[in-house]
Amino acid sequence: MLPDPVLARPAAPVGPIDDEARALAQDLIDTMRASSHSVGIAAPQIGVPLRAFALDITGHRKASSCHGELVLFDPEIVRAEGRDVGREGCMSVPDLTGDVARATLLVVRGTDPDGGELVLECDAFEARAVQHELDHLDGHLFLDRVVAADRVFPRRAYR
Amino acid sequence: MTTEVFITAVGRDRPGVIAGLTGALAGLDANLEDTSMTTLGGRFAMVLVVAVPEGTSTDVVAAALAEPAAALHVDVSVHPADPSDAADDERGERWTVSIHGADHPGIVHGVTQGLSELGANVVDMRTRVVGPPDRQVYAMTLEVSVPATTSAETLTARLDEVAAALGVECSLHPVDTDIL
Repeated sequence: MLPDPVLARPAAPVGPIDDEARALAQDLIDTMRASSHSVGIAAPQIGVPLRAFALDITGHRKASSCHGELVLFDPEIVRAEGRDVGREGCMSVPDLTGDVARATLLVVRGTDPDGGELVLECDAFEARAVQHELDHLDGHLFLDRVVAADRVFPRRAYR
Repeated sequence: MTTEVFITAVGRDRPGVIAGLTGALAGLDANLEDTSMTTLGGRFAMVLVVAVPEGTSTDVVAAALAEPAAALHVDVSVHPADPSDAADDERGERWTVSIHGADHPGIVHGVTQGLSELGANVVDMRTRVVGPPDRQVYAMTLEVSVPATTSAETLTARLDEVAAALGVECSLHPVDTDIL
């Protein structure tokens, strides 16, 4: 199976939030809830090439900062600090995992579904999850970020 | 329909070895599946699982590789691959084990023997010897699939015991994967 080409292309800005954007936000939340395995989803993963993602790491054992359920449009990184390597998997690449370095402190600014500015300051696991989703908006998969050639692993979780 | 073969290649490391060997394989309509290549002590080492059209014998594959291999100064062997040899380690819990210390014979054997006695399976191993000839350091990293019947305490205690007997340091941690 091929990761879909939409995942390899940078997504387009959403701009002012309208009904269509709000419907997308709901779609992202619904898709995220329907999948018990992941804590976030980016619009390109549901075939929508727009800069939007949903996230909810509530209750995750590695959560430090936790903003609960959120949808963010047109996010941009304001600050990124620190570095930690962790093993990630992705719903769009079901049969592999890989060791990826991410910033441990992240400040991201974007727009929320009400059209207001949302600034997220997150760390640790939430920062990792946000960076993973931001990568999708830029056309990157975790495979593009693995720290070394021998740090990609087969995963047969669904067999 | 296709059949799988294992190909191993070891020898001189220089640009062009993989390109040269895989070019010969493309000529056989072969498709590379899982592969691993690294340099060991500065020398080229590669293992490939290759799907070839059914009916292509290991001799035919070896013959296709003979000339490029000789020109590239690598030794190539072709082995039949038996699909029933493929193990299923996915039910085990994954741990990363790191060992380092003064180099001497017996480290890999001691550690892997200890692991196999617990039913643990090594799924990836990398060792390197570094440092000046009179003070060589051995560094080993293993990824291990541990059955549910072996607890973290048992695994840790056994490896600590093995490491102490071998005069090396050991650290281990469960591999933690997050689906994001």
